[in-house]
Amino acid sequence: MSRLLVVLACLAAFVAAPALAQGTPTPGGTAIVVLGSDPEHLNAGISTGYPIGAVGASLYSALVYQDADGVVHGELAEGWTVSDDNLVYTFTLRDATFHDGAPVTAADVVHTMESILGPNHGRFQRAFNEMASIEAPDARTVVITLNRPYAPLLGLLTVFDAPILPKHLYEGTDPLANPVNDAPVGSGPFRFVEWVRGERVVLERFDDYFLENALLDRLIYRVVPQDVARSTAIEVGEADLVWGFYMPTSDLARLEANPDVAVWKGLTIPSLYFMFVNNEHPQLGDARVRQAIMHAIDREQIVEQAQGGLGEVAGGPFGAGFRYAYSEATDYRSLYPHDPERARELLAEAGVSDLTLRFVYDSARGAFAAAAEIMRDNLRQVGITLDVQPVERSVMVERVYGRDYDLTLQSFTSSGDPAIGYHRIYLTAAPGTNFVNATGYSNADVDRILTEAAGLADQDARAALYAEAMAILAEDLPTLPIFDELSTQASTANLNGLLQRLDQRDGLEFAWFGN
Amino acid sequence: MSGARGSKALGAYALERLLNAVPLVLGVIVVNFLLVSLAPGDPVTALIGEYPAPPDYVERVRAQYGLDAALPERLLRYLGSVVRGDLGFSFANRQPVATLVIERLGRTLLLMLTTVVFATAVGIVLGVWAARRPHSAVDRGATGFALAGYSIPEFWLGQILILIFAVGLGWLPAGGFRSIRADYAGWAAVVDQARHMVLPMLALSFRYMAITTRLTRASLLEVMNADYILASRARGLSERRVLWEHGLRAAALPIITVIGYNFGFIVAGSALVETVFGWPGVGRLMYDSIFTRDYPVLLGILLLVSVSVILVNLLTDVAYALFDPRVRY
Repeated sequence: MSRLLVVLACLAAFVAAPALAQGTPTPGGTAIVVLGSDPEHLNAGISTGYPIGAVGASLYSALVYQDADGVVHGELAEGWTVSDDNLVYTFTLRDATFHDGAPVTAADVVHTMESILGPNHGRFQRAFNEMASIEAPDARTVVITLNRPYAPLLGLLTVFDAPILPKHLYEGTDPLANPVNDAPVGSGPFRFVEWVRGERVVLERFDDYFLENALLDRLIYRVVPQDVARSTAIEVGEADLVWGFYMPTSDLARLEANPDVAVWKGLTIPSLYFMFVNNEHPQLGDARVRQAIMHAIDREQIVEQAQGGLGEVAGGPFGAGFRYAYSEATDYRSLYPHDPERARELLAEAGVSDLTLRFVYDSARGAFAAAAEIMRDNLRQVGITLDVQPVERSVMVERVYGRDYDLTLQSFTSSGDPAIGYHRIYLTAAPGTNFVNATGYSNADVDRILTEAAGLADQDARAALYAEAMAILAEDLPTLPIFDELSTQASTANLNGLLQRLDQRDGLEFAWFGN
Repeated sequence: MSGARGSKALGAYALERLLNAVPLVLGVIVVNFLLVSLAPGDPVTALIGEYPAPPDYVERVRAQYGLDAALPERLLRYLGSVVRGDLGFSFANRQPVATLVIERLGRTLLLMLTTVVFATAVGIVLGVWAARRPHSAVDRGATGFALAGYSIPEFWLGQILILIFAVGLGWLPAGGFRSIRADYAGWAAVVDQARHMVLPMLALSFRYMAITTRLTRASLLEVMNADYILASRARGLSERRVLWEHGLRAAALPIITVIGYNFGFIVAGSALVETVFGWPGVGRLMYDSIFTRDYPVLLGILLLVSVSVILVNLLTDVAYALFDPRVRY
């Protein structure tokens, strides 16, 4: 538990740090934000791509946003009520306008959800499938009725999963081919100015923003495809902000030593790195073998050497990001310390010897290659040979979710709620759907408990359920959680007011240049 | 040689070569298409993104992009549209491939042509310099440079140039096509763009410069030992005229050949250099399209490159005739 507390304390300190930034917020200036690849288009309502979401976060607004602690607040929604049976959510809208001057009404929200997000946005689909109806009884009221209680709903109504688009520009068109996708109109703090494909997207402050106006005059998203060139761009002042998603961790020390650059480390969106184990493999189907592998892997060493220290050894199946989804009683670090001797005993008990396992990972992930080497060495010590197979990403996806692998390293995030990103890893599923249960693990109790937890809004009640699920998972060990990733960010030292929200990409309207 | 007859013959030869190129281009399209389609990995996975899409949604996307048809059918459909001048529609960018490529072609041509001109000029000067004093310190220096230049990978060189000239010395921008913070106009914009072009051009030039240097040196050394050079000298021509007018002209054929030969390598190099320097050109579009499995874009660019290489080789052959009166077609 103490380690978790340290992480949480660090988190609190890091989150508090930007608030202590010197001086008074002053408007003006242009901030250049690095994107690692060109957005394919700028309609955040039809794509879950990272660069599109990055630009979209400043361009669009949504019913709600999540603060740095993951607490949900109203954005376009002035407030909302939830019926006693947790089935009916009624939102009241603020007076807001789109960048073309048209008002944002309940009809825009309904049209966006039903016709644009529902059929086309990967993560929103999850919430959409739980909805019985979305209605607009009047211009300021949106009523969402669910089929059954679904706790993560609010977390899926943020600008990343449910940006609100103007009905008058999309109605009657194919949202995938609408030219507005390349010259977007939202109601966020910044409006679209220009997009030069491959080079930059330019936004400027929207002066009729319905909340407090942004401080920066302009935001320019600049595409820097090569990771090393991104840290260079910050060093030489050709960019002002790089998010951890695009940061080459090997350059962090150099950037930290530079007085003109501010480096931040901490937890934003929880991100957990797992070793998935194919439970359908004849030997790996035995929980003792999976436990042995967990004992054999030196997770501390992986964090230190492969991850450059940017991580914390994982304590449980849902990571450290959600306090209510962790139970100290079955902390994986106490249950499965690095212990090759114990690993050999467990393997002997299971009658396994001379095991060769195919270890598949995405070859583009440098840290994975380093971790693979450490694991190969760790497992060799207990008599398991790793056949390391780095493959191109789409091949990796096909193989892992088609269950044509023995072990694989994967990272998952679960923005806002463990039910969004982590439940799918443990819930029973047939092979063939990407990014769900890849291990073949199936436990009726786990299915029941997690499904119940996803329907409860009360976090204390959920905590009891997660403790129960974690106890089962700690024993079965369908996946081997390795570490919680710490996120990073590098920015020009005089760019203040960053990191106001759970997602690094959100909240740039609060950024300002000081001394 | 009669000039009129020669150029007519040359014209006919060029036309014949162009016609011969048609089956070659068709072959290239088919081979590219098969290579790309048979590569492991599903473009639909890349298209859909990182979330558990229900199988029926996956199938809908597959059908939407025409990826549900059998390979021969897709190939025929693709050939048909290319023949009609339609390069297809980008999966990822939701734009016609031609629009995407044309938008970036100018920037890549700018970089490539500057590279070819710069590298050829510098390579010839270095080569001549080395050939005039064989086995001198200058010669050894130029030969050493040529060997190094040929061995250094472009993307690595690009990063080193950035570290030295952008990060260390702060003389030149580290990347991009132009300054993003300042909006320059007129002459200032030209200077700004030229400054952004120096490092990528150097990175791309090195290998090519090295080949030209080595070739010029070798070719010139051979020519300068010929009898007619001795005769020119005997007639009392200045060494400068002997070298540049008589020697180099005769030594030019292999150099011209190498321009054509290297064109394909420069295109390939530009994909890496454009990525290192964030240069928004066709090379980077190709690099991105490989990672997003954007097959129509990838195929379109491969086709463009193949056609350019064929054209450049044709131009090289035509240039032979212009440089060397002995060459007839």
